[in-house]
Amino acid sequence: MENISIIILFLFVMFTLLGTGVWVGLSLVGVAWVGMELFTTRPVGDVMMTTIWSASSSWTLTALPLFIWMGEILYRTRLSEDMFRGLAPWMSRFPGGLVHTNIVGCTVFAAVSGSSAATLTTVGKMSIPELRRRNYPEHMVIGTLAGAATLGLMIPPSLTLIVYGVTINESIKKLFFAGVFPGLVLALMFMTYVAVYSKVARKWDPIMDDRMSFMDKLRNSRFLIPVICLILVVIGSMFFGFATATEAAAFGVIGALILAALQGTLNWGSFSSSLMGATRTSAMIALILAGAAFLSLSMGFTGLPRGLANLIAGWELSRFELLMVLLIFYIILGMFLDGISSVVLTMAVVEPMIRDAGIDLIWFGIFIVVVVEMAQITPPIGFNLFVLQGMTGHEMSFIAKAGLPMFFIMVLMVFVLIMFPELATWLPDNIRQPGAG
Amino acid sequence: MLTDIFTNVFFLFCLGLAVLTTFAMLVFTPARVRQIYDGLYLISGMAAAGFLIAILTLIVVQMVARWTGEIFPGAPEYAGYSMAAASFLAFANALNNGAHIRVSILINAVPQRIRWLLNIWCFGIGSAVGWYVSYYAWRFTYWSWKFKDISQGQDATMLWIPQSAMVVGAIILAIALTDNFLHVLFSGNDRLKSAAFEHSE
Repeated sequence: MENISIIILFLFVMFTLLGTGVWVGLSLVGVAWVGMELFTTRPVGDVMMTTIWSASSSWTLTALPLFIWMGEILYRTRLSEDMFRGLAPWMSRFPGGLVHTNIVGCTVFAAVSGSSAATLTTVGKMSIPELRRRNYPEHMVIGTLAGAATLGLMIPPSLTLIVYGVTINESIKKLFFAGVFPGLVLALMFMTYVAVYSKVARKWDPIMDDRMSFMDKLRNSRFLIPVICLILVVIGSMFFGFATATEAAAFGVIGALILAALQGTLNWGSFSSSLMGATRTSAMIALILAGAAFLSLSMGFTGLPRGLANLIAGWELSRFELLMVLLIFYIILGMFLDGISSVVLTMAVVEPMIRDAGIDLIWFGIFIVVVVEMAQITPPIGFNLFVLQGMTGHEMSFIAKAGLPMFFIMVLMVFVLIMFPELATWLPDNIRQPGAG
Repeated sequence: MLTDIFTNVFFLFCLGLAVLTTFAMLVFTPARVRQIYDGLYLISGMAAAGFLIAILTLIVVQMVARWTGEIFPGAPEYAGYSMAAASFLAFANALNNGAHIRVSILINAVPQRIRWLLNIWCFGIGSAVGWYVSYYAWRFTYWSWKFKDISQGQDATMLWIPQSAMVVGAIILAIALTDNFLHVLFSGNDRLKSAAFEHSE
């Protein structure tokens, strides 16, 4: 890297813009512009528009607003009550009791929602009051919810994986299926923690519901039918090769609308507010992606990605050591940036490193998602912390502390993923491609 | 060549004049102009929502066509154009609803006076980026129109048509940023709804 001082200037501009609170998407455009002006003599503005136009008018991207919309519709239905009523009878006798409804509820809802915050609000609006009423320890209720809601990012559909796939040009569908088993394993790890904690804790005396007969439990499970149908439609259609990710998203929106209509919660108000909410959230992500596309073009001219990849290659790190460096790097980044921003901001630099090290990019997508999940619950900036603060009125520090065990479980998950890479790579290699049956 | 430069400059001149006049009115006779601007953000947001429905419709129609053995040429391209339109037209609306992500740690930690300065800085930079993108979006689209650029896909659309939605959206975002910039400058606090996140409503 010959232009070291110019690169430092470039990085300084980046951190100044982001740090002073300029909106992430606009900061990226600004930084990219500075990079282009410093490193090339090309007409910057015209190159910028070509990049932004092709990044924002891409067909792959259309899955994004549709999955967001689906989540917005479901959030406004009675799905969370139904899920609680269906799940609670099965969980109440487990060690750890109804705290498991948080985790299982998030896992189930994650399969129809692509974002962590949507999962958190939908599951939490029912489970928080119900669990409080039954005298479960508050920090367990909040902590498990904060942690398990991040499964929304891992279990398909997943907005983070769409953004990752679009950024590095990988199949969204493969990435989705790579997330299934790691997501389930992570959920099991959360549940094990809850079960163990309930046995070890000195203060654990929740109020038990009346014991239900097996038939009653089964009868109560009918409340789960709508959400299970929706999961089958969305994930099933992709798995059996009927639909691409975007088409599955369209199925999802229509399914969610039908579900809302059957429940009687679909009216003009809920329809339009879900639509406007989805429009705004997807515009937010689209702005970041447009800025990121321009930035990664500009980054190419700075020589920073290549230089860093060579530098790291020069250190002769083993794959494991490289992943550890990246883990720490992303944890620190995640304290200040949200997941999507940190993915798009770093991929231009990290991608060549990963390719050089011979790491599978699908697998790395799941690695990134676990790390981004941690970012959701690490202070001072963690989306789930903000959302939970709004929902419960607790201090940020209390919520962050309650979520800390979940953070460590996710760190453990990273090592599980490194030890058993097949968790992420087996399923995507075994799905049917559209047209092939 | 000369006429091209002339058209460009003329466009910019008119746009600048129009925007400056309305901003000037905003400072002097706020209430009425306020309504016009808020209406603009709302309508562009609703148009964006319309394009989101268009995406859904296109995908469904394309699937139905595939099952019945028909072909719907160009559906992916049309969906892509709708995606761009849905994004760009909603940028301003998302801004005013606090949906765009920013790193707020510093801005929330500092005292009132410094926050005011930081906000001026943010909206200032934002406006500059917004107008820069708008100008080049206009030029980009203008050249597409001039050279009658046609999509490479099966749709063979004249590209300036979908690209105009991008120009309009970019200009509205730039207007919204400048609007907020002036508002912060003169009244002290920004007009962004402080929704930390949409879902938390």
